[in-house]
Amino acid sequence: MNDDLRSLTDLDRLIHEPARLLIATILSGVVSADFIFLQRETGLTRGNLSAHLSKLEEAGYVKIEKTFKGKLPLTVCKLTLPGQKALTKYRQQLQDFMNKTSQTR
Amino acid sequence: MDQDFLEIQQRVRRYWFKDGLGEIVVGGLFLLLALYFAGHRWLPSNTNAPVVLDGSLAFILIVGIFYTRRLINIFKAHITYPRTGYVEYYPEANDTIPARLFIFFVIVGFIVLLVVLGKWVGSFVWLPGFIGFLISVILVVIKRRAIDLRRFDALAFAALVLGLISSFSGLPAYYSLSLFYLMFGIVLIGLGSVTLTKYLRDHPLPVEGNYE
Repeated sequence: MNDDLRSLTDLDRLIHEPARLLIATILSGVVSADFIFLQRETGLTRGNLSAHLSKLEEAGYVKIEKTFKGKLPLTVCKLTLPGQKALTKYRQQLQDFMNKTSQTR
Repeated sequence: MDQDFLEIQQRVRRYWFKDGLGEIVVGGLFLLLALYFAGHRWLPSNTNAPVVLDGSLAFILIVGIFYTRRLINIFKAHITYPRTGYVEYYPEANDTIPARLFIFFVIVGFIVLLVVLGKWVGSFVWLPGFIGFLISVILVVIKRRAIDLRRFDALAFAALVLGLISSFSGLPAYYSLSLFYLMFGIVLIGLGSVTLTKYLRDHPLPVEGNYE
């Protein structure tokens, strides 16, 4: 396997999953967003979104705060600093890979 | 690939403009400005009324610079966030009190400059057209930052045309400025209301318990 391809194996698989990558990218542009917004933007089901958010939270990439808005529970999500760093690194790795492969073509 | 990331982030930024509430609030401020300029012709000049009126301009500017976003957020909290979700944006680089104070004094200085220029030229006929041009430039800049908002093109065009109409209306200076702010305020509120109506139709309030 050449080095260009091998660099792909170093990708952060937690971020690499498309739904989680979308969630992280959305959150990277804002201070925070709530569950309804993320569900609308990602098109995921509630259960699916919950599962992906939990994985991102376990990795320390997303901080989830459960509050109340009036009587309604409100889930607010933030991308943490490690999450920002992981996303930036992922983008850089992918960009490097694309650059290398386009040069060798 | 990077383009996809940027597009997602721009789509999130566009969300702020999705409901038309911004246009409605700013349109309301423009109507207040229309009242301010018309008031200069309506109110008797031999009383304290013009002084009070000038104080109201400071009030409109302060509300416009310091509280517009907050005001829009209050409406969003009741209308938008329960329907399509809450987003807290990063503050703009100039979103600090000193920066806003700076903007306030720049605008006041700019107004003084326009008045001095008008007196020097001996006419204020050009003023609505010039302000219309400035507003259209600002709208184009906003459009470029939050791409694909075609209604901002329409608003920029309206600002330009209404400014020219007001300039060539043949009305005295205060009235022509009042006419411009009145017409553009109505256009803003009208377009904002159409956007809001469409938004409300497309996004009915979710049933209770839909929050996660």
